[in-house]
Amino acid sequence: MVKTDFLIIGGGPAGLSAAIETGKRNIKTLVIDEGVELGGQLVKQTHKFFGHEGFYASVRGFEIAKKLVSQLNENVVIMKQTTVTGIYEDVITAYDREKDSVIEIEPKYILISVGASERFIPFENNHLPGVYGAGAVQTLMNQFRVLPGKRILMIGSGNIGLIVSYQLLQAGAQVKAIVEIADKVGGYQVHAAKVKRFGVPILLRHTIKKAIGEEKVEGAVIGQVDDRFNIIPGTEREFAVDVICVAVGLVPSVELAQMAGVKIEYIPELGGYVPYRDREMRTNIKNIFVAGDLAGIEEATTAMIEGRIAGLVVARELTGTDQPDLERMQQELIEFRSGPFSDKVRKGLERFFSQQIVSYSKDGQKDLGPTGKLRPIIECYENIPCNPCQTSCPSGAIDVPGNINSLPIVDYSKCTGCGICVMKCPGLAIFMVQENFQPGKDLVVLPYEFLPLPEKGQKVIALDRDGKDVAQAEVLKVIKSANKTNLIHIVVPAGLAQKVRSFRIPQKADSLVCRCEEITVEEIEKAIDEGYTDYEELKRYLRIGMGPCGGRTCRTITLGILSKKTGKSLKEISCGTFRPPSMPVKFDSIIKGEIEHEK
Amino acid sequence: MRRILAHPILDVEKPKVVKFFFEGKELEAFEGETIAAALVANGVDVFGRTEHSRPRGFYCAIGKCSSCLMIVDGVSNVRSCITLVKEGMQVKRQIGRGEITW
Repeated sequence: MVKTDFLIIGGGPAGLSAAIETGKRNIKTLVIDEGVELGGQLVKQTHKFFGHEGFYASVRGFEIAKKLVSQLNENVVIMKQTTVTGIYEDVITAYDREKDSVIEIEPKYILISVGASERFIPFENNHLPGVYGAGAVQTLMNQFRVLPGKRILMIGSGNIGLIVSYQLLQAGAQVKAIVEIADKVGGYQVHAAKVKRFGVPILLRHTIKKAIGEEKVEGAVIGQVDDRFNIIPGTEREFAVDVICVAVGLVPSVELAQMAGVKIEYIPELGGYVPYRDREMRTNIKNIFVAGDLAGIEEATTAMIEGRIAGLVVARELTGTDQPDLERMQQELIEFRSGPFSDKVRKGLERFFSQQIVSYSKDGQKDLGPTGKLRPIIECYENIPCNPCQTSCPSGAIDVPGNINSLPIVDYSKCTGCGICVMKCPGLAIFMVQENFQPGKDLVVLPYEFLPLPEKGQKVIALDRDGKDVAQAEVLKVIKSANKTNLIHIVVPAGLAQKVRSFRIPQKADSLVCRCEEITVEEIEKAIDEGYTDYEELKRYLRIGMGPCGGRTCRTITLGILSKKTGKSLKEISCGTFRPPSMPVKFDSIIKGEIEHEK
Repeated sequence: MRRILAHPILDVEKPKVVKFFFEGKELEAFEGETIAAALVANGVDVFGRTEHSRPRGFYCAIGKCSSCLMIVDGVSNVRSCITLVKEGMQVKRQIGRGEITW
């Protein structure tokens, strides 16, 4: 029998934050975690977090995990790879997988912070290996450096779907598309912009119909949905993918809480069945607390604050002393939840206790600043609780007025063009531009988190916000940043400073298939991968064969590529139709019509 | 090979190689990774079969969905996604619900 003052089940952001608070106050705390590493889901988060510095804004998730672990002191005992199997009236049982033994624990106070599990959705063949929850893909690639596959279809455009798509691109996979059943992107615009800049299409009002494959995923069929979310017949499209990544939400893990007698309520806004708790994170059972995703699906910042609140309340009761930090943390939580993205959470929590909000400014930057000066352009239009642009600016040129939910405003007269805000912005939503930097040339400074880094002088293809090619550009400077958000200065033709937001490094010299419309082998192969597997489809999609030569140059090459990629023989593939005119003819001559010829 | 050898954010260190057996075949894994990660890195996607003979892979990777249950050193129903791979470990696909061991 292990006796402890405070048992924390789950060593994620909520559990660790609670343990930091109680450890600091000399309370014997035991943290039990199932995983192989402390930090919960933070260990696989490679993106920088929103929020403010008090809660590690602009720090990458896995680094936050390390920072939290480093703050635990000798009062905190850790048991990893251990599963709490039951909560009974008199005792808590756990199973230590490493030692293969069972432990009984008798705590005075308990925090259940076990998080959530991946939501699953029904579609044909969803049992196939290769169908993964988004968290699983993250765990594999970011915690263990293993890619589950090369070609991915993402289901769901919430923040997790968007972030994981971006991280898959960083790890070298192809994301064929992000499929979203609703009519708008679920996550933050800044996250959506990050994947769009690399040309990943987000297909709204679409859902997955089935996975293709016998032993594992080899493809997926998606379709457009009607108002009742049923697939409209005839809109189905096939993708050749080896992974279907499901990012459709999380389900709070309420099992232990319910076992302990905590009242469970169904509140869809919080993720489904959630335990009752009050402002102090206390459940209806006096000595049991909950925090983090278990208490309602949100994100790591609020989990950390909730954990600290729970820890401080336990500390107050065990030490019998007032905890002044408690009120500050509660105020912090109110502020974080005041933005539009927390509407749902507030509505859900309203069922337990009344909600407060603080007001914030929705008036962002109105102008694009003084043309010709090197200056940041902040493309952050939603009230995300976040302010590293302001706090990182050495000249005080950026203001997030009032509180962190407000939109940032730049005072261009104070800005020195140093680029620190570009590096710090967790949403990669700040760029720098300078028009007419050289005669006929604009300068664009882009945040870049990909490998390989381009080199000074290298020719690259500048891309717009949707990842479409815009122009040839040249790399002027590469500034490596300690936080891995590097700054790439590229020189683009004049007039494009407000258009270029990304670039790609040309993989190989372009080989043209279609001379008339300038279509390359690469583009045709990409279209076939996207599911255009018929010559006529390719023609309509790429305009291949629609040029003045009538397909004389490109038709056989295209059919050859099609045959090679699909494994069908040329005999099985339709060569498409031939339409008049067979060679260019003047409109004028056609309009004039037939003339009488002398016989 | 599905290992990520270079990454723009994460350092890719050279970890210690351990050997384990999958269905009797010797495979290489990295110390500190889970059985599931090691298998996927080696190109193994099918972790077992259900009672109805459907191929089964893993889904959540954090020990919650139980889709990744395998037979490890003779013990059934081991969650391969949160169990670390060890030198000499014998890992087998599980068919159906698995045997009870004492």
